[in-house]
Amino acid sequence: MLPLLYVTISAVTADPAIWRRLWTTRVPELFFNTISLSLGVAVINLALGISLAWIITRYAFIGSRVWDWLLILPLSIPSYVLAYTYTYLLKRGGTLEHAWQTFAGSEATFFSPFSFAGAVLVLALNTFPFVYLLARSAFKNFNVSFEEVARTTGANRVTTFFRVSLPLIRPSLIAGLFLAILYVASDFGAVSLLRFQTFTYAVYQQMTGRFDNTAAACLSLVLVACAFVFLFGERWFRQRSRFYQTTGRYRKPVPQPSGPLTTFLFTSYLLLVFGAAFGLPVLLLVQWTVTAASAGDVSHQFFGYVWNSVSLSGLTATAAVLCGIPLAYLACRRRTWAGTFCVQGAYTGYVLPGPVAALAVLALVSQTVPQLYGTILVLLLAYLVHFLPAALQGMESTLQQLTPNLEEAARSLGSRSLRTFFQVTLPLVRGGFLSAWILVFVQCMKELPASLLLRPVGFDTLAVRIWLEASEELYQLAAPPALLIVVITIPVVLLLMRKDQT
Amino acid sequence: MQRAFFLSFVVVATLSLPSWGYADDTLVVYSGRAERLIQPALDAFQAESGIRVQMLTADSTALINRLRMEGARTPADVLITNDAGTLERARELQLLQPTAIPDLEETIPSRFRAPDNSWIGLSGRIWVIVYNTTMVNPGDISSILDLANPGWKGKIAIPSAGSIYLQTGVSVIRALKGDEITAGFLRGLKDNARAFVYGKNRQIVAAVARGEVAAGLVNHYYINRHLAKHPSAPIAPLLTDQGDQDMGVVLNAAGAGITAHTKRLTQARALIRFLISPKGQRTFADVNKEYPLNSHVKAAPELLPLQSFQVASVPLSRLAQLRDLTMTVIEDVGLR
Repeated sequence: MLPLLYVTISAVTADPAIWRRLWTTRVPELFFNTISLSLGVAVINLALGISLAWIITRYAFIGSRVWDWLLILPLSIPSYVLAYTYTYLLKRGGTLEHAWQTFAGSEATFFSPFSFAGAVLVLALNTFPFVYLLARSAFKNFNVSFEEVARTTGANRVTTFFRVSLPLIRPSLIAGLFLAILYVASDFGAVSLLRFQTFTYAVYQQMTGRFDNTAAACLSLVLVACAFVFLFGERWFRQRSRFYQTTGRYRKPVPQPSGPLTTFLFTSYLLLVFGAAFGLPVLLLVQWTVTAASAGDVSHQFFGYVWNSVSLSGLTATAAVLCGIPLAYLACRRRTWAGTFCVQGAYTGYVLPGPVAALAVLALVSQTVPQLYGTILVLLLAYLVHFLPAALQGMESTLQQLTPNLEEAARSLGSRSLRTFFQVTLPLVRGGFLSAWILVFVQCMKELPASLLLRPVGFDTLAVRIWLEASEELYQLAAPPALLIVVITIPVVLLLMRKDQT
Repeated sequence: MQRAFFLSFVVVATLSLPSWGYADDTLVVYSGRAERLIQPALDAFQAESGIRVQMLTADSTALINRLRMEGARTPADVLITNDAGTLERARELQLLQPTAIPDLEETIPSRFRAPDNSWIGLSGRIWVIVYNTTMVNPGDISSILDLANPGWKGKIAIPSAGSIYLQTGVSVIRALKGDEITAGFLRGLKDNARAFVYGKNRQIVAAVARGEVAAGLVNHYYINRHLAKHPSAPIAPLLTDQGDQDMGVVLNAAGAGITAHTKRLTQARALIRFLISPKGQRTFADVNKEYPLNSHVKAAPELLPLQSFQVASVPLSRLAQLRDLTMTVIEDVGLR
C-alpha cells in the first residue's frame, strides 16, 4: 500500500508536459493493445474452456480421467517460457511453417509470433485452464434437471446448451475469464519477448529506456486505476448474478459413454490443445536441455542460479507467511476498522503488475532508505508486496474454516491469547499455511520483471537467465532453467487441483 | 510449527549469505552489451590478470539510473555500454571519473574518447544497409534516406523503436538534416517496413538472407557474423552517403568508463588497459567482427578498413544531448 502511494505522488506531481506527451502518443495505443489482447485471449479461452470442460464432464471415454488432470498442466509453464518456445516454433522457416507448407503449398506462410495473433495465441494457451477449471467444476455440480426440462419442452440439444446450460454456469465463466484477463493485463514475460506493447510492458520500457521514472509512474497509475475499476466491476457483477439451488431436487450429470468415433474425435482435439499448450513446448525444452548438457553449457554457474532462485523464493515465502499470520488473524477474528484497512491495503498488491511493484518499491526505498538499494532486501520487499495477497488469501480462508470456539475454549481454560495462538490455532491451520508457503515459493521462482529490475550484482535468478538468453534467441541456453521451473511447478499445480476437487 | 519456519528462515539465510556478497577483490562491471559480445573479452582478462570479474547485464539506460540511485554506495567499478551517447550522459551526471592511462592518446583516437577521458571507445560499428544480392542492384541506393521512397514498400526490414542503433542513427540524421527531413524519413520507413520491424539485428539479416525483404538497416557486424555461419548467403553490406557532399555512414562506439565511486581503481584501470590492448581488441575484432578502435589493431580482413570510407561528422559525445528529442521524434512518428 505504501509503495503504491509513492508511485501515485510521483505521477500526480509529474510535469503536465509528460502527461500530455503520454496521452497523445502512448496511452491510446496501449489501451487499444491491452484491451484487444485481453478480449482476444478471452474469446479463445471461452471456446477452449467450455468445450473442454463439456467433453470432460459429460462424456466417458478412454483416458478421460487422465485428460482431466493433463489439461491443467499448461498452468505450470511460465508465460515467457511458452512465448520463447513459440518464437522458435512460429519463426519463418521454422518447424510449424514447414509442416504447414506440406499441406498448403510452399508459398503458404504462418503469422509471425511477434504480432497480435502471436501474443493472443501464446497467452490464450497459457491461461485457458483458468476458464476450463471453473467451467469444469460448474458443469460437474450442475443440476441436470434444468436441461431435462428444456428438452421435454421441445428444445433441441444445441438450444438447450446455449439457452440453459451456458447461462447457468455464467458466474463461473466470468470468474475464470476475470482471472485470465488479470493475468494477461499484468503479464510481462510473454509480451516483452513477443514485443507486443501493453501497459505493463510499457511501464518496464519507460523505466529502462528513459532517464527518469516519472513517465513510468504515470503509466503505472493509469494501469492500476484501470485494474481497480476492473476489480470492482467484477465484484459488482458477481453480486448481481448469483444462482441458487432452491429445491431439493438435484441430479448430478452422468457422463455419457461414447463410441469409437467420438472417442477418436475427442482425443484428437484434446491432444491438439494439450500438445500446443504443454506437450510440444516441454518436448522442445527437454530436447534443448539435452543438447545444452551434452555441449557442456550447463556449468557450475547454472547451479548458482538455481541456488539464488531457491534461497530467495524460500526466504520470501517464509516472510510472506510470517507477515500473513497477523494480517489473516486480524481479518478473521478482530474485525476492526484499522484491521480491515491493513488487510485491504495488503490486497492492493494483487492489482500491481510486476514492473509496477518494482517501480513502487524502488520509489519507496529511494525516498526512505537509499542504503538498501542494490541489496537483496529490496528484491525481497518487491516480491512480498507482489505475492503477499496470494498467501493471505489462502491463509485467511484456512483460518475462517476454524471455529473460534476452539480458541475460546482454550482461553476459558486459562490460556493466554499468545499461547492459545501457538498451541491451539497454529497446529490446526498448519496445512493451509504450508500450501500458502508453497504457492508463494513457486510464484517467486517464476517472477521475472521485478527480478530483472532490482536484482543485486551477481544475483541472476533462473527466470532472469531464461529471459536474457531467450531474448538473444539462444534457445538451448535458456532451456535448462526453463525446464527446471516447469518441473518444480507441476506438483504444485496438481496439489492445488486436488484441493480444488475435494 | 513456528519453530520450523524460523529454523528454515535462519538456515536459508546463513547458507545463502556467501553467495550474496562479492569478495573485495572482485571487479564489478555493469554492462549494457549482450553478454556474448563482451564475455570473451572479460574471460580473457580474468585469465591474464587473475582478477575476478562479476557482470550485471541490463539495458544501458537502466544501468545509468541504477548508478544514480546507488550514488557513492555503488558496487560497480566499470560501466560498459554499446552506445557512446549513454556513456557521455553518465559523464555529464558525474557518474564516471577520468581514466589516466599512459599512451592512451596514441592508442585511441580522440574522436572515440570523452574530452576528459571519462569514457573510452572500445569497438566501433557502422550502420549500413544489408541487401539481398539477388533482389537489389546496389547502384540504386546512394543514401540511407532512399529507403523511405515508396518504391520500397513491403521490401525493407527495420529495427524496433527501442533499438539503441536506430536511436543513434536518427540522432545523427537529425543533427545533419534537421527534424523535418528526419520525421519524413521515419514515416517512410514505417510505411515501407510494415510488419517487418525487428528487435534484433540478427533477425533483420536473416530475413534479408531468406529473401523475405530485399534490404534492411543493421549494424555491419551482424552481416559478417551471418556470413561466417552461412558463407553462401546472398547478402552484402552497402555503405551509403559516400559522395563528397554526403553525410557519410553513422558510426557508434561501444565503450567503457570507470565509475566515480569505485573502490578498486587499480583493478578497474587494469581492465580498461586490457580492453584497449591489442589482445583485448582482438576479441572485438575477431569474435564480434567489430572495428577495433585501437589504431594499431587491424579490423578483421573481411571488413572494409575504417579509414577507407566517410563517417558522419557528428561527434560521439553529442549523441547524449540529441537523444531525448530523438526519442520524442520516434514516438511522434509512431514507430514501434
